[in-house]
Amino acid sequence: MLASQRHTYWLLIVPAVLLMLVFYIYPLIQVLWISVTEPYFGLQNYEALLSRPLLHRIWLTTLRICAITTIITVTLGYLVAYAMARVGERQRTTMMFCILLTFWLSVLIRAFAWVMLLRNGGLINSALMGLGIIDGDLPLLRNEFAVIVGMVHFMMPLAVLPIYSNMSGIDGRYVSAARGLGASPWEAFWHIHLPLSKPGLIAATILVFVFSLGFFITPAILGGGKVVMISEYIQVSFEETLRWGQATMLASSLLFAVLLTLALVARFVDLKKVFGAR
Amino acid sequence: MKPRKDLSKTLYEKDLYPDEQTFAEDCALIAAERLRRGEIDRRSFVKALGLLGLAPVALKFASGSAAAQAKELVVVNWGGPAMEAYANAWGAPFEKASGTKVIIDGTGPLASKIKAMVEAKAVTWDVCDTGTGTTLVLAKQDVLEDIDYTIVDKTKMAPEFAYQQGCANYMFSFVLTYNKAKLASAPTGWKDFWDLKKFPGGRTLRKQPNGMLEACMMAAGRSQKDIYPIDLNLAMSKLKEIKESVVAWGSGSQSQEVFRTGEVVMGNIWHTRANLLRRDTQGEIVWSWQDGIVTAGMWNVPKGNPAGKETAMKFIASAQDPASQIELFKVMGNGPANPAAASMVPADMRDIDPGQPENMKLQVLQSGYWYEEPSGKGKLTNDELSREMWLDTLSS
Repeated sequence: MLASQRHTYWLLIVPAVLLMLVFYIYPLIQVLWISVTEPYFGLQNYEALLSRPLLHRIWLTTLRICAITTIITVTLGYLVAYAMARVGERQRTTMMFCILLTFWLSVLIRAFAWVMLLRNGGLINSALMGLGIIDGDLPLLRNEFAVIVGMVHFMMPLAVLPIYSNMSGIDGRYVSAARGLGASPWEAFWHIHLPLSKPGLIAATILVFVFSLGFFITPAILGGGKVVMISEYIQVSFEETLRWGQATMLASSLLFAVLLTLALVARFVDLKKVFGAR
Repeated sequence: MKPRKDLSKTLYEKDLYPDEQTFAEDCALIAAERLRRGEIDRRSFVKALGLLGLAPVALKFASGSAAAQAKELVVVNWGGPAMEAYANAWGAPFEKASGTKVIIDGTGPLASKIKAMVEAKAVTWDVCDTGTGTTLVLAKQDVLEDIDYTIVDKTKMAPEFAYQQGCANYMFSFVLTYNKAKLASAPTGWKDFWDLKKFPGGRTLRKQPNGMLEACMMAAGRSQKDIYPIDLNLAMSKLKEIKESVVAWGSGSQSQEVFRTGEVVMGNIWHTRANLLRRDTQGEIVWSWQDGIVTAGMWNVPKGNPAGKETAMKFIASAQDPASQIELFKVMGNGPANPAAASMVPADMRDIDPGQPENMKLQVLQSGYWYEEPSGKGKLTNDELSREMWLDTLSS
């Protein structure tokens, strides 16, 4: 009886699995296939990953920007989530609304909004000049700084939401108990609250980092053509120079990078627990 | 409201998306903008769009009965008002002369789409409106038909723009554009463009090297006739000189945007966009034809096109008619490719036509041949190597 019930459950996921096989796994295999067959069979495309300085630079830029973005986003996200878990119900609703609001805005609109804020004579530069803090425009736009600002802004909800959902499940009495036993506020946070919120923190870190790896529009607009991340180069290789072998190799290496990240994280933490499967 | 929806889609995806953009694509956007401002006759535009919206459907129904002789030819461009403009200027005359229906498809002939179509042996396009860069890239992939110069008249275009697998359908220029209000004096050429002391302020160059390398060479002191062969290392060192001040543009609208936000005071941009800047700023931002780099939009025919190679070639030949090219110039702003059209351009529009003799003599014609040649580095052509080095230098 139990066994047949299990069979029924398996049947329920068949449509979804089929859909994934046809529209996701099969094209993915094709991508991998092209990466070892174009322009001819072999690993020459992957070899270029090691031998071509341009690809090194693009990958390093990508990893650097993603790492910085992740650190800043998760730190800020943690603070916001912490506040959210502690304020009253009405404030919490307002905060959640504000976070989701930016989530719903198109990535293009957000990038152009930053252009308006960061440009020479834009709000930030003119405000700083008006206050007499700076004499001339600061170079805030079309560089790595601008890209990171745009990406952090985009990623914030992705950091806040998992951390908040984890924190809202932490019983506040633990911290109270620690305080009652003589811990300072900082000690109570460091030894009690932080370890308890670790799963949310890790989930946010993974989410933000993995999403950042594939960023395309934000760096292209805010970077002014001088900050080239891996996705943009994939687009150039695929659409413009028609080097599909190179494009698919880069896309595959992006995929491997994500898997590698997960594998590394899995060595230290239980991913099932982090993503709520256990 | 279908046309409007299409228009906004074009503006959104093709314009705002910071994709590298071809000139042809940009022209469609400019025309959309002009229509919005009422600079092109709205009534005929709306009427034609309405017709276009219905025409393909009507044809589909008709093809069942009249398929025998009513062959059709699909011409692909970048959509928006370019559909109507091409249909009027080039589609209708050809239809009349040959009896072959011309369908304008505005979905955009991306190089990757053409390659995919040909390789899948599912070609639905006959004639594609691309650029020199795309033509060279596609030629290397072996997915284009050779242009049949026994049908297409080589003398009706600048010989520089008669490629083996593509030929000029119109001309446009990369020109030195500058903000008069922010400069003490007018720059006279690319050397001034590179002179950050005398002309302080931001610069904009294209993300792709095509049209930029020539400017680098002239800035390095080469005369117009000595630009080719381009010394790529020299070009990159020139780029490095001013890189800190450079914002790179991908699409035509971006090149305009960086002028309007005040980020740059000088740029190497398409003359059509320079013209819009001049109009929008009441002549504050202007351009000079001096040392401009003239290049061309290209017709390509994918291998195994449904209407057959000959029909496609005949269409291309019929689009060489100077009067039809003038008609397109009036709507789209891209200069006629046929030198015979120059004298037919209305007097008040001559200063925006790169092909006018007085403008032409100041400029240099881009040489596609150099781009096609092997670079000596690996199997890369000069085109491929220069793209790589340009991107590398910009992002380093």
